Amino acid sequence: MSLPPNLQEIVDDFASMTREEKLETLIGYAESFPPLPERYKEQREHMEAVPECMTPVFLVAEKQPDETILFYFDIPPQSPTVRGLASILHDGLNGSTLGEILSVPADFYLPMNLQEAVSQQRLNGFMGTLAHMKHAAVHAQSV
Amino acid sequence: MSYARPENLVETDWVAEHLNDASVRIIESDEDPLLYAVGHIPGAAQVDWFSALQHPLRRDFLTREKFEETLSSLGIANDTTVVFYGDKSNWFACYALWLFQYYGHQNVRIMNGGRLKWEKENRPLVKEIPSYGKTTYHAKEADQSIRAFRDEVLKQSNAKKPLVDVRSPKEYSGELISMPNYPQEGATRGGHIPGAVSIPWATAVNEADSTFKTPDELRALYEGKNIKADGEVIAYCRIGERSSLTWFVLKYLLGYPNVKNYDGSWTEWGNLVDAPIEK
Repeated sequence: MSLPPNLQEIVDDFASMTREEKLETLIGYAESFPPLPERYKEQREHMEAVPECMTPVFLVAEKQPDETILFYFDIPPQSPTVRGLASILHDGLNGSTLGEILSVPADFYLPMNLQEAVSQQRLNGFMGTLAHMKHAAVHAQSV
Repeated sequence: MSYARPENLVETDWVAEHLNDASVRIIESDEDPLLYAVGHIPGAAQVDWFSALQHPLRRDFLTREKFEETLSSLGIANDTTVVFYGDKSNWFACYALWLFQYYGHQNVRIMNGGRLKWEKENRPLVKEIPSYGKTTYHAKEADQSIRAFRDEVLKQSNAKKPLVDVRSPKEYSGELISMPNYPQEGATRGGHIPGAVSIPWATAVNEADSTFKTPDELRALYEGKNIKADGEVIAYCRIGERSSLTWFVLKYLLGYPNVKNYDGSWTEWGNLVDAPIEK
């Protein structure tokens, strides 16, 4: 099954990087982490929590008129790794359709060899974030 | 009442005054491995608990020889004062300190409040990675008096001697382990080691600035649960990181003479065939 093109590109990029390049790139992703829109500030009760992360992670999905989905995250700046990983999912899946998002396999990230850069526990959080994005995307259909 | 071994705890002021002290090495150990790259105390080295301190193959720490190589490359001599700090109330800083003690480094301190307090005080953080002159470090034989293995933990449990479970209440009760989508996470069984009392690690620190609670508060916290200085105490959590903070508190701040950290913790015990479990 093919991944959305943006996500596939990120996976391929990481696959060819050294451990140091992966860490630097993750920092880059953390630094470009998209800010939470004003309308969601003070709205955490309407966002989905990701309890698998040791860091408080909240996300929300919005369906656009053209049926594609946009995601927004709220993650504290004290957790750059979590931000970086969420930013990868954001950049890779933002603007995809529900079908495309749901078809991303839970182990899509294995070719990225992230385990040489971050711990397994963090990758669990990464997978958890993807699972919650899928859930939020489904929820956005019914809103 | 003061802390039992106050020399093992320094304040941010002390660190700020010793940034250029050649006899001091400041080490950042974080739960989030990218934080150091985002900004760290000037002159501080990073020691990541995972990539720098674990054995590359086995579930164990790096060998004594590798530990010596690591410390030599960080410019640490046997008499260097090593000050640890980090995020998440210093929990991984305490883990790194515990491991330094395991290989015999005596002169170790925690910066009270860790990264959070340093940041809140608007003290400088830099991105520049320092380099240090190489030293020749000699580690000691691993000190097993501060590390507990499973057989010993079983004996401890059977003998009804003090065991402290420092995980969150839901992990202690067994409600949390197999979270959705994570069959491989942690352990196949939930609960706690029979006889262990629940004292979550975070109850030892002040939430506002990550500093440790006062000696009186700490004594009340642990003695109130019958964890006393005259016992042989073993602390555990999920992988041994949170419990190294509790180990530090009991050993250095309260001065308990006989405290061990069980680093196998729940990810070992909850998977161990035939191990008794209480819920």
